[in-house]
Amino acid sequence: MFRTGKHIRVRIHLGSVAFGLASMFSATVFAAEAAPQAGNIWGAQIKVSRGVVSIERDGQRYPGLVGARLKEKDVIQTGGNGSVGVMFNDNSTLSLGPDAEVILQRYAYDSTTYMGAFDAYIKRGTVSVQAGNIAKQAPDAMRMVTPKAELSGTAKNYVVSVGE
Amino acid sequence: MNRLLIILALALTASACAHRDNYVLLPDSTGQAGTLNVKPVEGGKPIKLDQPYQAASSTLGGGFEEGTSSEQDVKKRYAAALDASPPPVARFTLYFLEGSDELTPASKRDLEAIMAEITARPAPDIVVVGHTDRVGTVADNDRLAKRRAESFKKRLQERGLADDAIQTAGRGEREPLIETPDETAEPRNRRVEILVR
Repeated sequence: MFRTGKHIRVRIHLGSVAFGLASMFSATVFAAEAAPQAGNIWGAQIKVSRGVVSIERDGQRYPGLVGARLKEKDVIQTGGNGSVGVMFNDNSTLSLGPDAEVILQRYAYDSTTYMGAFDAYIKRGTVSVQAGNIAKQAPDAMRMVTPKAELSGTAKNYVVSVGE
Repeated sequence: MNRLLIILALALTASACAHRDNYVLLPDSTGQAGTLNVKPVEGGKPIKLDQPYQAASSTLGGGFEEGTSSEQDVKKRYAAALDASPPPVARFTLYFLEGSDELTPASKRDLEAIMAEITARPAPDIVVVGHTDRVGTVADNDRLAKRRAESFKKRLQERGLADDAIQTAGRGEREPLIETPDETAEPRNRRVEILVR
């Protein structure tokens, strides 16, 4: 391997010690509690929002506007005229029709290895699902759960309708 | 008035009873469907869907039955949800000079197309994914890949993009565009992918 000058090589070497420690540390955190990657607590962003859309976080309610960021444990709700489209860090998307409620139970994603965990609970309404890198890496790592069933697999696109 | 209320109540009850859960597997952009496993929470027989528009519907007994939906059915029933899907991710690939984070001259010019795509979106967020060829160790390449991504992020920030709108990732040599044996220099694998989302 002969690709860099001496200066850069030294810097890379020093950097690699720090990087090694950092990645060991984040790997431990990931295994212990599947926390989102350090430095990025946000797992998703609202890209499309129509009518009444709200986000419930720690008991507080926020408007679900275009650009709003979402994280694990957030609850997404749409009103009778509402719909919302959400893009996750691993390029998965969920879009909800009217009168829908989805709880982001778990979202963890490692953008280097594409390992992660994505569990959403679809409580009611219609939802269109597009699987991203997490499911591509490990199909069982992405699960859509309804009151009646648990869905997972290599499917890239599917739709879910849950009654009251 | 009373009669109207009764009719309304009956209609609501009927529609609530008639509503069953319905899950439909859709084809992706290439026509492939993959598989979708439907595992009933109450136990019962799981259903495996593996054909486009194959569907699972809940039964009154708590189980599921397999059926077939169609493109028209799905478009009608799921219109609002489908219509709210985020616009597809726009992907660009830029190439680097060997062992460095310096873009090739052609890739420097592609930057303009990327900026146009970014400004066309209401809430753009960008993912910069660095890749390397297989010269060097996996760990070194992870760092080089991340460095390429970070260097490109700086370039976007110089154009006025906010720090928190850009995520970087280094995939190292895990995802070559061109498969090669280890320790092979391959310019087409030394790249960053820019995802405008």
